[in-house]
Amino acid sequence: MNIKIKQLLEDGRVDGFWAYKTTHGFPFPWLFTRENLDELEPWQCTKARYPILKLLLAEARNHPDKTYGVLLRGCEERGLHELFKWNQLQPEKVVVLGQACSQGLAIECECSKPFPEEIHYGTPVDPVVESRKVKELESMEPEARQQWWLSHFNRCIRCHGCRDICPVCFCTECSLEHNALIPGEKLPPDTSFHLVRAIHMGGRCIDCGLCEEVCPAGIPLRSLYKEVNLLVEDIFGYKPGAADGKSPFSFLGEEMLLPSGPR
Amino acid sequence: MKDFEPRIIAFLCNWCSYAGADLAGVSRFQYPPNIRVIRVMCSGSVSPHHVLHAFQRGADGVLVAGCHIGDCHYLKGNYMTVKRVKFLEGLLQFAGYDSARLRLEWISAAEGIKFAEVVRDFTEKIKQLGPAPSFEAVPERALGA
Ligand code: SF4
Ligand code: SF4
Ligand code: FES
Repeated sequence: MNIKIKQLLEDGRVDGFWAYKTTHGFPFPWLFTRENLDELEPWQCTKARYPILKLLLAEARNHPDKTYGVLLRGCEERGLHELFKWNQLQPEKVVVLGQACSQGLAIECECSKPFPEEIHYGTPVDPVVESRKVKELESMEPEARQQWWLSHFNRCIRCHGCRDICPVCFCTECSLEHNALIPGEKLPPDTSFHLVRAIHMGGRCIDCGLCEEVCPAGIPLRSLYKEVNLLVEDIFGYKPGAADGKSPFSFLGEEMLLPSGPR
Repeated sequence: MKDFEPRIIAFLCNWCSYAGADLAGVSRFQYPPNIRVIRVMCSGSVSPHHVLHAFQRGADGVLVAGCHIGDCHYLKGNYMTVKRVKFLEGLLQFAGYDSARLRLEWISAAEGIKFAEVVRDFTEKIKQLGPAPSFEAVPERALGA
């Protein structure tokens, strides 16, 4: 039985705790409370990834007075930080237990920090400092790169899965559904659909890769948003997901934040 | 490519650049007729969506012009403009579109000459680049073919 989670619930530190429970042989996100404490399972290192922050956010919106605990990976903790900064969750109402990811998963994700700040479960493994996939794309001729993207965008069925699963897509109205901006009847949607989403991820995407994992068309979305992150870091020195700092797009700005070069 | 007449959308802020364009007009400075002006209250109110939408609808170039840094009538609206444009340039580039089709300029109400020069220069650049590639998600050939 998971002692730490049990303790938090029994002590009344949290009203509920989001962790995992084996269902049909797979770990499945589960909300544990004082009522179902006996269903808690020992921690295991798995590859199963879910939009657990989305579940937490929905629950917290429904019960703003309650405090929740949550078991988080490195990327999910970065997402939590962004949700705090964008005033979607209150830090004093969330308690985090951290788990480290396996080396295999970190390599698959090309993850820059496959562990949270404080690790309660598992042992930290080496981060991946540079995305090979993005490097490859950057080295292509622009025209070839454009064709490469179009050949992928071509398969988009506009299911909005990438948005729906994204932990930092929290708006209640979405530009992707703005019919004048992105004509609704068009399938596949044109490049602007993907670029509009990419713009919204500037200063926000925490590189969890769930979008790419969920996309039924297998579009390499993560590479697109990894580049978005590189741009934001290059131009503004901001890395989404850090505990402090603010997205350069969330305030008008200081002189020093203006990108250099001709204006 | 000789007969190619580019379509350029120009977002001009009401207080500086639009007045600059106006001055160019009344002073009878010559500039190419390729631009279609959209007057906005501040360059900071031009969302990246507007720029993308212009390209999506067939613009060959997009010019965003506002007050010089420090002169914005909403104090720091143009700080946002430059942040957005820089980011958008990188993004367009990564998607394989030439970011030279997007241009940011600071043009004050007194700079009628500059306005005419910018339009002339930009139109010339876009002419050299040729018509903008379509945003349709249809590759010219299937990958690997
Ligand atoms: S998940 Fe994939 S198919 Fe669905 S809207 Fe996003 S990019 Fe398109
Ligand atoms: S990787 Fe995808 S799902 Fe994750 S934060 Fe970035 S855009 Fe959202
Ligand atoms: S009012 Fe001209 S840039 Fe803001």
